[in-house]
Amino acid sequence: MIGLALTTVAGQGTGLAELAPPPGMALVPSGRYEPLFRGEKDPKEVAVEAFLLDVAPVTNAEYLEFVKANPKWRRSEVKRLFADENYLKSWADDLDFGAANRSNAPVVHVSWFAAKAYCAWKGKRLPTTAEWEYAAAASPSRADGGKDTQFKQQILAWYAQPSVSNLPPVASNAANFFGVHDLHGLVWEWVADFNTAMVTGDARGDTGLERKLFCGSGSEGTNDRENYPAYMRYAFRSSLKAAYTVHNLGFRGAKDL
Amino acid sequence: MKTLFLIFALQVAFLAGAGERKPACCVTNRETASAVNSPAFTDKSLYQLDSVWNSADGGKLKLAELKGKPQVVTMFFARCELACPVLVHDVKRIEAALPSELRGKVGFVLVSFDSERDTPEVLRSYRERQELNAATWTLLQGKPDDVLELGALLGIKFKKDAQGQFAHSNVITVLDPAGEIVYQLNGLNLDVAPAISAIQKTVN
Repeated sequence: MIGLALTTVAGQGTGLAELAPPPGMALVPSGRYEPLFRGEKDPKEVAVEAFLLDVAPVTNAEYLEFVKANPKWRRSEVKRLFADENYLKSWADDLDFGAANRSNAPVVHVSWFAAKAYCAWKGKRLPTTAEWEYAAAASPSRADGGKDTQFKQQILAWYAQPSVSNLPPVASNAANFFGVHDLHGLVWEWVADFNTAMVTGDARGDTGLERKLFCGSGSEGTNDRENYPAYMRYAFRSSLKAAYTVHNLGFRGAKDL
Repeated sequence: MKTLFLIFALQVAFLAGAGERKPACCVTNRETASAVNSPAFTDKSLYQLDSVWNSADGGKLKLAELKGKPQVVTMFFARCELACPVLVHDVKRIEAALPSELRGKVGFVLVSFDSERDTPEVLRSYRERQELNAATWTLLQGKPDDVLELGALLGIKFKKDAQGQFAHSNVITVLDPAGEIVYQLNGLNLDVAPAISAIQKTVN
């Protein structure tokens, strides 16, 4: 399934098709991304350079290799500055993620620091908000999923459901147009610049920003009031702190070309 | 000459990878004692960060070098015309409100969002313009990733706009001598009394 997805991506006329992505990563071609929130004078779209993105979130089994090689990221060793007390809470022990059927499920209860450290260890980095949102805008059949009504409805349906306690394996659902799985429908994901989401409270109507707390474009407003899922992601990101670990928050790696 | 020595000492300390060791010029007896007694950082200490910063004095430093006395940390940028002047004024109000026994024993740190433009020279002239005491105020420029990381730790959100201005939350953070966050002032023009008492508690 993953192999098929990669072939699809490599077959696109990006001019970069001859560069096969490394195993487990997909090439997301350059494009444009319309930020949900922006300042009054900011351009409506930002250019996103082509980049590589993991086709699936990092799994428990993959994360286990990381903590084996990096003892300071084990549950009992990690410093509270870098991960709160729920770090890897669902694991049975330092080097045991519990039931074997969890090996391919996404790792959750990881902090931003932990996610960043894992990516660095792999020679990768976390995707930026722009990269993540751009990749996530693709439906299974087109890069611009915003025009795909069925796709939008499916996402809304997922956002309306409480997350399950036993997460299914990654890549159980169809890949999107770029060959990437699970950007919707499995877990929330960390992005490198999560603390650039300038949303506080309900900013859907007017700016709603606590003006006193912000300088400059406290006038930053949303441009797409219909896009509830994107709004929810921004709100979720803006509620995070770097050491937080959450039961339905994982991550995946990205890389420059 | 003194400045040159300071720069030299800081660089030597940096090159030597000195985590706990500090240049002789910047270490008070009290700091030496605490460094000897507690070589490791506490679990929530910001001084665990490995990032290396450029200071307005032209030297490089790790945050761990700020250890040993309470520090009031604020993120800003020099070209900011809206909130930052008020924010920095608020920090000055904290400095002015310190009881006499704490004068000179509390550090003030301004970290720039603007990695590109706030070079040590720019920060130095900002420090002069704002009449900030070079002995107690540390102004820092860092790499974008390190600024993002520090912002994340302080719970500060910021975003660069098309004009190169930064939208940012206005937060003043009090760190205890070990580098843990003990108090945060969120917003502008607020009463600084709680910050003063937070600082007092860290040294009592």
